[in-house]
Amino acid sequence: MRFTRGPAATAATAAAVTLTLAVAACSGSGPAIGNGGGAAPKGQMERGGTVTMAWTGASPNFIFPLAPVTNTDGYNVNLVNPMWPVLVYGGDGGQSTVNPAESLYSSMTWTSNDKTVTINLKPWNWSDGTPITSRDFTFVYNMLKADVPNWNYYVPGLFPADVAGVSTPTAHTVVLNLTRSYNPAFYTEDVLSYVPLLPQHAWDKTSMTGKVGNYDETAAGARAVYAFLQKEGSDMATFTTNPLWKVVDGPWTLNSFQSNGDYSYLPNTHYSGPDKPIVSKWVNTTFTTDTAELDTLRAGGSIDVGTLPLNDIQQAGVLKSEGYSIAAEPFPGVAEIIPNLYNAQAGPLLRQLYVRQALEDLIDRPQIVSKVYHGYADPGNGPVPVQAFTQWASPLEKSGGPYPYSPSAAIGLLKSHGWKVVPGGTSTCQRPGTAASDCGAGVAGGEPLSFQLTYASGKASVDEQEAAIQSSEEQAGVRIALKSEPFNTLTGTAGTCTASSHPASTCGWQLVDFGYDPYQLYPSGTGFFNTGGYNNQGGYSSAMMDSLINATEYGSSASAFYRYEDYAAEQLPWLWLPLESDIFVYKSSLQGFTPLNPISGGLNPEVWYFTK
Amino acid sequence: MTWYLIRRAGQALAVVIGVLILTFIMIHMVPGTAARSVLGLRATASRIAIFNATYGLDQPLWRQFGSYLDQVLHGDLGTSYILQQPVSSLIAQRLPRDALLLGLSTALALLIGLPLGIYQAVRRNGVGDYLLSGVSFTLYSMPSFFFGIMLVAVFSVQLHILPPEAPQATSVGGMLADPRALVLPVLTLALINVATYSRYMRSSAIDTLAQDYLRVVRAKGLPERLVLFRHVLRNSVLPIVTIVGLTLPQVVAGAVVTEEVFNYPGMGLLFYQASTSHDFPILLGCTLIVGVAAVAGNLAADVAYGMLDPRIRHGGA
Amino acid sequence: MAALEAGAGLGAPPEAGALAARRGSGRLALAAFARSRQARIGAGVIAGIAAFCFLGPFFYHTNQVTVELGSGTLPPGGGHPLGTDASGYDVLGRLMLGGQSSLELGFGVSLATTVVGTLYGAIAGLAGGFVDAVMMRVVDTFLAIPSLVLLLILVNLFTPNLWIIIALLTMLSWLATSRLVRGEVLSLRTREFVQAARMMGGRRSRIMFRHMVPNAIGVIVVNATFTIADAILTYSALSFLGLGLPPPHADWGTMLSNGLNYLFDGYWWLVYPPAIILIITVVAFNLIGDAIRDSLDVRLQRP
Repeated sequence: MRFTRGPAATAATAAAVTLTLAVAACSGSGPAIGNGGGAAPKGQMERGGTVTMAWTGASPNFIFPLAPVTNTDGYNVNLVNPMWPVLVYGGDGGQSTVNPAESLYSSMTWTSNDKTVTINLKPWNWSDGTPITSRDFTFVYNMLKADVPNWNYYVPGLFPADVAGVSTPTAHTVVLNLTRSYNPAFYTEDVLSYVPLLPQHAWDKTSMTGKVGNYDETAAGARAVYAFLQKEGSDMATFTTNPLWKVVDGPWTLNSFQSNGDYSYLPNTHYSGPDKPIVSKWVNTTFTTDTAELDTLRAGGSIDVGTLPLNDIQQAGVLKSEGYSIAAEPFPGVAEIIPNLYNAQAGPLLRQLYVRQALEDLIDRPQIVSKVYHGYADPGNGPVPVQAFTQWASPLEKSGGPYPYSPSAAIGLLKSHGWKVVPGGTSTCQRPGTAASDCGAGVAGGEPLSFQLTYASGKASVDEQEAAIQSSEEQAGVRIALKSEPFNTLTGTAGTCTASSHPASTCGWQLVDFGYDPYQLYPSGTGFFNTGGYNNQGGYSSAMMDSLINATEYGSSASAFYRYEDYAAEQLPWLWLPLESDIFVYKSSLQGFTPLNPISGGLNPEVWYFTK
Repeated sequence: MTWYLIRRAGQALAVVIGVLILTFIMIHMVPGTAARSVLGLRATASRIAIFNATYGLDQPLWRQFGSYLDQVLHGDLGTSYILQQPVSSLIAQRLPRDALLLGLSTALALLIGLPLGIYQAVRRNGVGDYLLSGVSFTLYSMPSFFFGIMLVAVFSVQLHILPPEAPQATSVGGMLADPRALVLPVLTLALINVATYSRYMRSSAIDTLAQDYLRVVRAKGLPERLVLFRHVLRNSVLPIVTIVGLTLPQVVAGAVVTEEVFNYPGMGLLFYQASTSHDFPILLGCTLIVGVAAVAGNLAADVAYGMLDPRIRHGGA
Repeated sequence: MAALEAGAGLGAPPEAGALAARRGSGRLALAAFARSRQARIGAGVIAGIAAFCFLGPFFYHTNQVTVELGSGTLPPGGGHPLGTDASGYDVLGRLMLGGQSSLELGFGVSLATTVVGTLYGAIAGLAGGFVDAVMMRVVDTFLAIPSLVLLLILVNLFTPNLWIIIALLTMLSWLATSRLVRGEVLSLRTREFVQAARMMGGRRSRIMFRHMVPNAIGVIVVNATFTIADAILTYSALSFLGLGLPPPHADWGTMLSNGLNYLFDGYWWLVYPPAIILIITVVAFNLIGDAIRDSLDVRLQRP
């Protein structure tokens, strides 16, 4: 599921897009499983029933929607979102667009050269009958503003730091005055898509026994309320009993919660939105591994919805005979190998664009897609996934990207830069120096073209992918030594390295494959490729790249995005890799599961129902 | 005896403190930092600072150890960085699961292994002995993940007669209420360990059978079954006691592989996951508990041995 | 060892005297080994498997370096008697290559364990008194640290390769060996011939190497044999947990735990061949160890 993949959570998209849905449902070599875009409901709808969803490794532990930065459990979003949805609801049926019917706002108007946004809220109610008002927005804003760095989704410089002032002319109108002009699409999809509304009338207090007031209106009071709610939000024993968490505005309320990651919801009978839950209970259960989950599916257990590991795609036939259907969904993110441009040994090599180009030329991405991922993967032609974000993928990316697989191109590049290429062996630098036909600055004569690639362990398909890369890089004499580590160990050791700071302790890595990075609705490069970006572990820094990224976020030029995207694709701040799709297994009697919402990861149980 | 016990207890305490110090040093030797590991890819400098301040990781190491000891003495094992729960409550959730799983499987392994050992001793070098040796060695030689997955493949996936996961209830009572779900995991661990007990029992029983007093007993006309039960079993069981005592820390440390195969999050998985993510409070808490169990198991085995075998006297030496 | 799972393991007899007293056990072990059918079978199997792994590649040439995704998971037949794995490696050839490192791992761990454990245990046992107490408390301390901690820390500290893994597993298993040898030395110390040597003014090191070690060798050999079996099993569990060595390294445990991913996909040739050869090898080592242990028991010699 989308959410299981990381802390980045629900978001929404604004730009009207026509996403072609069914993924090559029966085109020859293509995958035989679509995302079910064309599936027509069949059978007679049955109200009620319990739907059971299986997760792997999920252990949510925090119920207050604004988790502190020290809590990085991505599964909390899964737990919280069904009760307190964000302002901008992402995904409309199978479309990756903002869902106007489900969103909490009725309109957003940008004025003053895109520096002011006026948000009109819908006249919806909290589950206790109190109306949702603009005060609920300022409540959230006040808390975040009082302790800016302590919010998990805070990106330096953006919301709430970029808000010059908030006013609430009416009970259902919020006006945000921003410190600069923004691209409205970017701000709606990548910023406001993180902000929930929270019940000020019930939560604005500093102790369980205290009275509700307007404490959040002073900075100190807001901090006290924030701290109180964060403390209550971490007490798992009271998730279902604490009166605070009974006040929700989403379609679901929490029914049971166990610290082992099993929890269930009942429908919020006062939900104001259009899609009121049809089933009468939604149970979430967690498994230690994919394999354990698959065993239970195969054993005909009680699971209604689960995921299918790609290794087991051949199980599809058997599962169908057990009464399950299968749906695949391209994942909105980017998979990559990050080169450490400031590693003591490999840095000078990796800073050479031609070396990165040669490395990318030698990765046979189409073959990895077809053999390792059985066709269920994005080709990884550049920073934007062409399948999940058709609307944002440039013509260059759609045509296969700037570096299609070509060992001869790689050999040519290396030879023209003074390397003695030894296919199957180790290529060495013959012409050190900084001229155009030399190896480049910092590369010594006789230096071998060898790297260590560290990657996250635990997935057979990733092992296969890395072994295939290692093997194909050898065609130009590039030696890759592989090292695998558990993901958290990897993030603990592979620290951020930059031109100004590259201590030996956290910059010992040379090439790293963490897996992938998820995008919000707007696949912006901020954080990945901008100088000092939070996700820019390799220390890539380019004034050109920075200005191109800024142009996509601050300006509204339609072509700015493609310019940024193609530049990033060509400059290879990261080496692009295929990104596997999510594959879901669901009971064939469950309707409404497809078309999959690409943004919520298919997690919309309020529209699911069983047939008789 | 009392003096012996006091001395042993003192040594045990020294070992536990040694374990804590060693673990503390070792976990801080691991490359990388807890903050980066926990905060993940978005670990910015300001987030790392918040994290370190929250958990006191900005203090010098000796002070961190000091405050940890102080906490432990006040009964507080700290809070997990990743799971965000008190370590003591995590252990309280997980430990009973392993106690149940490993308790049942050890009991079953003993139930099968002890009679098997005696039978093989009596019939030694016969066809039955060879056959049973072959079977128990083969089971012992199987990687437990392979054996467990095979059992699931046959009994759950093919035959649909037993559930593929261990009970998911959070209380021991709840787990016992789902006995079918316990069958496969208990069987996996028990069958693999039968050989551990049956081999020792076999050697030990062969020893006993060769003793002169048995001839006397037999000469008195005691039925063979009673001979085996009353004399051979009782006299051969001594080394087994020690071995069972030695498995106590493993009960506490959990069975990570079996837990993973049967979706049964216990101490083993808790510890394994913590160790891959720099979750220091869990690592220290678990090590402490396992250390105490190891020392206690040793001590218990020694004492039991002394009580069962009058020849052993714990004197001054 | 059986480091990652419950159970004391076959090779972990706890304290002094768990194995009955015996005399001149070195020669006796050898004689018993030659006499025992069980041991001969075990040794024969191991010789056969070693020949398969180390000599096989001279007759059966396969490419175990280049990944050929295009010819992945081919069923047995044609040029691949046991098919290919997901990376396109020939499974039969990989069993040979994997067997080499599995056997090297087993013997490596066993050798290192025996040397370290024997020296440590013998020194502690000979020294006695305070030194012995301190040395044994150190062993207790290490034994009380969950083996997983030690393993994970060291896997993280070093870029793992086969030698590092051998060193790691040794760190876990020498402890039991040292206890065993110490117990043996303690019981030998009281024997007449050792006391005689001492009274004649023999130096400690001489007593140790001329009298103690040869007489304790039986126990040591038994333990070493079990250690080989346990090391192979423990490493397979590590691979299952994702802490094994990355490709293109091959060993049976890694092959098996990867193969299990495809169990339900009908790729039986990725599961059963490594499983069978691994189990047979481990059984063979256990049979040998068990046979020697049995025969060392003097009283058994006169049934």
